[in-house]
Amino acid sequence: MYRYDEFDAAFVAGRTAQFADQVKRRLSGELTEDQFRPLRLMNGLYLQLHAYMLRVAVPYGTLSSRQMRKLAHIARVYDRGYGHFTTRQNIQYNWPKLKDIPVILDELASVEMHAIQTSGNCIRNVTTDQFAGAAADEIIDPRPVAEILRQWSSLHPEFSYLPRKFKIAITGASHDRAAIRFHDIGLQAAVNAAGEIGWEVWVGGGLGRTPMIAKLINSFVPNEHLLAYLESIMRVYNRYGRRDNKYKARIKILVHEEGLETIKGQVEAEFAEVRGGVLTLPSEEVDRISAYFALPDFAPQSLTKIDVAYESILDAAYGRWLDNNINAHAQPGYASVTVSLKPVGGAPGDATHTQMEVVADLAEKYSYDELRVTHEQNLVLPHVALADLRAVFDALVAAELAEGNNNLITDMICCPGLDFCALANARSIPIAQEISRKFAEPARQKEIGELKIKISGCINACGHHHVGHIGILGVEKKGGELYQITLGGDATEHASVGKIIGPGFEAENVPGAIEKLVDFYIAQRQGTDETFIQAYRRLGEAPFKEALYGTA
Amino acid sequence: MSKEILTGNELTSGAAVYLSATGEWVEPLQSARLFSKEEVAERDAALAATKAGGRVISLEIEEVDEVDGQIVPKRLRERIRAAGPTAPLTLNGQAYDRQHLGEDGHVSI
Repeated sequence: MYRYDEFDAAFVAGRTAQFADQVKRRLSGELTEDQFRPLRLMNGLYLQLHAYMLRVAVPYGTLSSRQMRKLAHIARVYDRGYGHFTTRQNIQYNWPKLKDIPVILDELASVEMHAIQTSGNCIRNVTTDQFAGAAADEIIDPRPVAEILRQWSSLHPEFSYLPRKFKIAITGASHDRAAIRFHDIGLQAAVNAAGEIGWEVWVGGGLGRTPMIAKLINSFVPNEHLLAYLESIMRVYNRYGRRDNKYKARIKILVHEEGLETIKGQVEAEFAEVRGGVLTLPSEEVDRISAYFALPDFAPQSLTKIDVAYESILDAAYGRWLDNNINAHAQPGYASVTVSLKPVGGAPGDATHTQMEVVADLAEKYSYDELRVTHEQNLVLPHVALADLRAVFDALVAAELAEGNNNLITDMICCPGLDFCALANARSIPIAQEISRKFAEPARQKEIGELKIKISGCINACGHHHVGHIGILGVEKKGGELYQITLGGDATEHASVGKIIGPGFEAENVPGAIEKLVDFYIAQRQGTDETFIQAYRRLGEAPFKEALYGTA
Repeated sequence: MSKEILTGNELTSGAAVYLSATGEWVEPLQSARLFSKEEVAERDAALAATKAGGRVISLEIEEVDEVDGQIVPKRLRERIRAAGPTAPLTLNGQAYDRQHLGEDGHVSI
């Protein structure tokens, strides 16, 4: 786990005190709303439809039990007893009162957390693979570099007023679980001919109203020069990114309009200036930070395999959970557990304060005090002994957190939508709830296999609909809600952007439309090993369109 | 014939509020003052006074219909704002209540 040094502690304490004073002056009338609004946004405080919303940063999705308990405490004492985990691996509270914000930020600071840079035109919370440091398929644990990026980007004076917000994702595995090709900058661990580990740097990806897949700007940046290279990109963006139109201000537009080679030339010129300077990462400093992320001293395990088929006969629900929610661990006898926040009929990503306490207790008892938030709005216990899986499952059942649906059709990403969000055009959560009810039957979910549905309530795409195998986009039409369906999106290393396949649907017809697509896929697939996205790629758009809309 | 209402969010709680006929900012949509097209001057004066007071923020003019004696905003967004989220709570199946004014949240113009 990362820990604050005296610099972190000082800047968080300083900012917390500063914002407390700003809130006090706003409440007294000394500050106007026009003066206060940019200040509150710099501290993660939005005003939504019904109330304020506070977005708290969870650095690269990593939490200790103590921190999770603090998040539960805040939900219980200052909010309505729950929180919403987001696609930036953060947590949002939907009902805080302005007068309580200073004390909430004090509470967060006491566990080395804050809400700084969770809004505004700055570098946002760096995200990563939820299985970082645990996954069997990992080249390198990306968390030390993510931590270095956190330190570098926090209150960076040069990048506090960028043309637009800026998002960085990093993965140390070849299988991309962090959607790095849909970030402003994506970093993927790479090995060069000499066997050294460095980083592929991808630039200009993003979702929103102009979805784009990032382009490879450098296939190998050595670790020691990574900060210098990233600073070079940021400088080019800060200098040339458009400020005349917020819809064209992201770096993806700059890369698209100027061309990768032009941007690359500018970045390389800047890099030539700064390379070898103060941003060079000393190996002793990298080692010092890496030590914070040293793997736990794993207790040897005699149980190194679980017979899932046998367990499924004894207890079908446990078998499903083993089948879907367990990820292979680099350490023999251990696994990473995905704790689903997608109960049938629930709001995706929501967890009550009691559920947060339960997960914190489980992390402390069974996962070396570590927790992760996934960008797909679930939680992870990264280091669980196989011998403890049954106990963990039983505790999750009692907390209504044991849905064995990871990566299945009911494991949807879903934005807050028009039920909460001031920007949304249509509701998202009720759509997710109805789809999960329609496909609630476990046998049906198993039959369908891996299928990622992602739902956004507006074109800003917080629900990542562009990269859903099936994407759903809510739009406003004639005062009502209409839902467009896209097919073929993929957030992984096989990145693709989904295409709208025809006219939109009324809300009540969306689950039926999804069912038509699913039934067509099952009828056409070349065996159960061929997933929905694979079948879509093989067959193309036209037959799916015909299945959904009939022959023209 | 559609009319207009004034709405915003109260500063301390963030709760959605409506300008009433008596010049107070209140929670119930049905207590909202209806402005006809001929009352633009009064409407704008109320907006300006509220903005100057600074206790109600994110001010908006909303178009509404009167249906069977009830005020019904034309926009779905505003209907949800008035009533609270429509999506049920994960565990107990109840809808979330809308935000309410705190004891320090009562505002007049």
